Amino acid sequence: MEHFPEAWGRPRNDIYGPYDHSYLQTTGPKAHTQSPAVTGTSVIGVKFNGGVAIASDNLASYGSLARFTDVKRLRVFGDSAIVGFGGDVSDMQHIDRLLNSIDIRENYSSDGNLLNAKNLHTYLSKVFYKRRSEFNPLWNHILVAGFDGDGKPFLSSADLLGTTFSAPHLATGFGAHLAIPILRRLFPEDTPLENISKEQAVEALRECIKVLWYRDARSLDKFSIATVTKDGIEVKEDEKVEAQSWAFAETIRGYGAQVN
Amino acid sequence: MTSIGTGYDLSNSVFSPDGRNFQVEYAVKAVENGGTAIGIRCKDGVVLAAEKIVTSKLLKPGANKKIATVDRHVGIVSAGLVPDGRHFVSRARDEASSWRGVYKGPIPTSALANRLGSYVQAYTLYSSVRPFGITAILGGWDSEAEAPVDGQVGNGPDSGAGGKIQGAKAGGPGLWMIEPSGLYWGYYGAATGKGRQAAKAELEKLNLSSGELSLVDAVKEAARIIYVAHEDSKDKEFELEMTWISSLDGPTKGKHEEVPKDLLEEAEKAAKKALEGEVEEEEGTKASATEDQQMEE
Amino acid sequence: MFRNNYDNDAVTFSPQGRIFQVEYAQEAVKQGSVVVGLVNKTHAVLVGLKRNAEELSSYQKKIIEIDSHMGIAIAGLASDARVLSNFMKQQSLGSKMTYGRPIPLERIVTQIGDRAQTNTQQYGKRPYGVGLLVAGVDETGPHLFEFQPSGLTHEMLACAIGARSQMARTYLERHLDEFSDCSRDELINHGLRALKETLSQDKELTVDNTSVGVVGLAPEGSKSKIQSFKLYEGQETLPLLEALERSETSGEAGGEGSMEVDS
Repeated sequence: MEHFPEAWGRPRNDIYGPYDHSYLQTTGPKAHTQSPAVTGTSVIGVKFNGGVAIASDNLASYGSLARFTDVKRLRVFGDSAIVGFGGDVSDMQHIDRLLNSIDIRENYSSDGNLLNAKNLHTYLSKVFYKRRSEFNPLWNHILVAGFDGDGKPFLSSADLLGTTFSAPHLATGFGAHLAIPILRRLFPEDTPLENISKEQAVEALRECIKVLWYRDARSLDKFSIATVTKDGIEVKEDEKVEAQSWAFAETIRGYGAQVN
Repeated sequence: MTSIGTGYDLSNSVFSPDGRNFQVEYAVKAVENGGTAIGIRCKDGVVLAAEKIVTSKLLKPGANKKIATVDRHVGIVSAGLVPDGRHFVSRARDEASSWRGVYKGPIPTSALANRLGSYVQAYTLYSSVRPFGITAILGGWDSEAEAPVDGQVGNGPDSGAGGKIQGAKAGGPGLWMIEPSGLYWGYYGAATGKGRQAAKAELEKLNLSSGELSLVDAVKEAARIIYVAHEDSKDKEFELEMTWISSLDGPTKGKHEEVPKDLLEEAEKAAKKALEGEVEEEEGTKASATEDQQMEE
Repeated sequence: MFRNNYDNDAVTFSPQGRIFQVEYAQEAVKQGSVVVGLVNKTHAVLVGLKRNAEELSSYQKKIIEIDSHMGIAIAGLASDARVLSNFMKQQSLGSKMTYGRPIPLERIVTQIGDRAQTNTQQYGKRPYGVGLLVAGVDETGPHLFEFQPSGLTHEMLACAIGARSQMARTYLERHLDEFSDCSRDELINHGLRALKETLSQDKELTVDNTSVGVVGLAPEGSKSKIQSFKLYEGQETLPLLEALERSETSGEAGGEGSMEVDS
């Protein structure tokens, strides 16, 4: 019989060892976010003749759980840029608020000086870099699509470390592994932009989303796709992967129930 | 003027023996010399209009805006010391943005008017500052649509946000005028600046409280009223500036924007025409102007 | 003697609603030597008349480059101008750093206007004793702004501030219609002529006392979008002054209408 009432209901010291008080410690190093919580994965983007196309599925995962299945991870900024978010969804919401307040500020004056996608990307990469330098990163990997100051199609990425990277086609998350090779085969590096039409670009993105749905366990068959051209932004947020065929799954060996 | 020489008018925040704060009254004098500014509130939106006296040929035409955007859905026009007006607008923008930071939604125009009233009032309290030399008209549209939950992931439940009352009407137009004392009222039609007497007389004729005037007609009336108010300083050239905010299903979709060029030109043309036709009715106008003067006392 | 009780500080309104301290600060601008600014469709030009304290001393700087897309010309207290120009340089650099964009002119002019306004509403501060002309280009083309100690700012097509600047303004008003479509060189020439109008009988424009600043959009097909701010001082102004002289001699022959034959 345990004679100390304060110990009643607690794990027994003689079996579990004494209580580890370090869990309640308030001193010691201060820790910020160590890992993201609810996350989105792939965002993929392709430049084409006269604009940029960008796509992402509508999933937000909680670990391996498909927690939210109707999350819009493509955010429109003004009438000339789209930001696609991979990574932590609450950090995405925070950045979305930042974008909102910038948009309001930019529209105080109607003089026509507006931030383009390139300006926006520069700004966001600085935000990421500042936060990681404070050891309190915003856990995202983003793509920014739109136009640069010369009116040329612009596509660039920034991540939680403040790293920036630009290429004619880009992807975040699993898409970086699965979609990029497909896009590189479709549009080899030396393809001039003039040879890629908007329809081709959009078709390629749909194909990539389908492959991701087939092979990435943290993906979804519901997705959003958007294009930025001189005529404006077109966003479709409730797309579905069409013409699915899981026949290839039969040939996969080494997983699931079958042994050989 | 009885205030001069008594010494009670030399510092802000000081009452005279009969309970007046002369520095605030002098600030009002600065307003009374400023270009006319008006606002009209109707059922489906708000119009703001300003008379911009062209003080020099060298000024760039169409630039130097007098009406400012505070948030997507709010605009401010003021009469009086222009730099004070900009200070005021900058504070309004800060308030609107900090409201968004806290409440994750746009500030209601009534709340903004209240906060700005408090801010202006604070400048009457200390001898280390002077009151604002402006009277500001604030116009806005509070969204009638259900506000989404901030950062809402997905669409949420079909039944809408919590606490919703079926059929309840929210939002609508807001028009407020804030004076150098910090005093503010809500208005159907507001006017300030040099030509306010004439403008007020015209506004009263519109019978705005009946809610019959449409937004587009209000734009035309606003243009006409600015032209009427300018009659007293006819020798000076001026530019008319107008902005509007409509309901969500109206032409500006709840945003504060400049009145489109073609509508502005149409309104200006109609205003000029109306003014020519008004010569015969002059007697009637004068009568109501004197009436108004008495009300001002 | 009558004594004005309402002009001791910037936080007291007169019974007419005026703030005398601010009005006095505007007088300080009129003490400074004249500067002129003007724009056409592609360029913004500043010209200034420099003064030296004595024969052997150097000349006071009148035009300051803020960034590659913008410069200012000053009239009044030069040290107040330095405070403002340092602030503008910081803001401009900040915009390039965070957005990779040259700061829009209206934006930065509003910022100094707001700063100046603060000095007119708080006890213990004094209004700036300097007027500025801000010239530059941004996404929407060339711009010229006037800044006053009250915090008032105006976008102008052409402007002159400082001692005897009324003469320059008269010139500018008279020739206003010619500016918008003229060439870069002609615009500089107009600026210099306006400046010359303000000189007293015994003075003339020399390479020592003349400053010119030019900034504009680069001609079609150039690599960069803008022609960076270029400050002409000393011997560099010689060709500009020579062009001025040529235009005047030919102008005297042909009358005012045909003055623009050269350059």
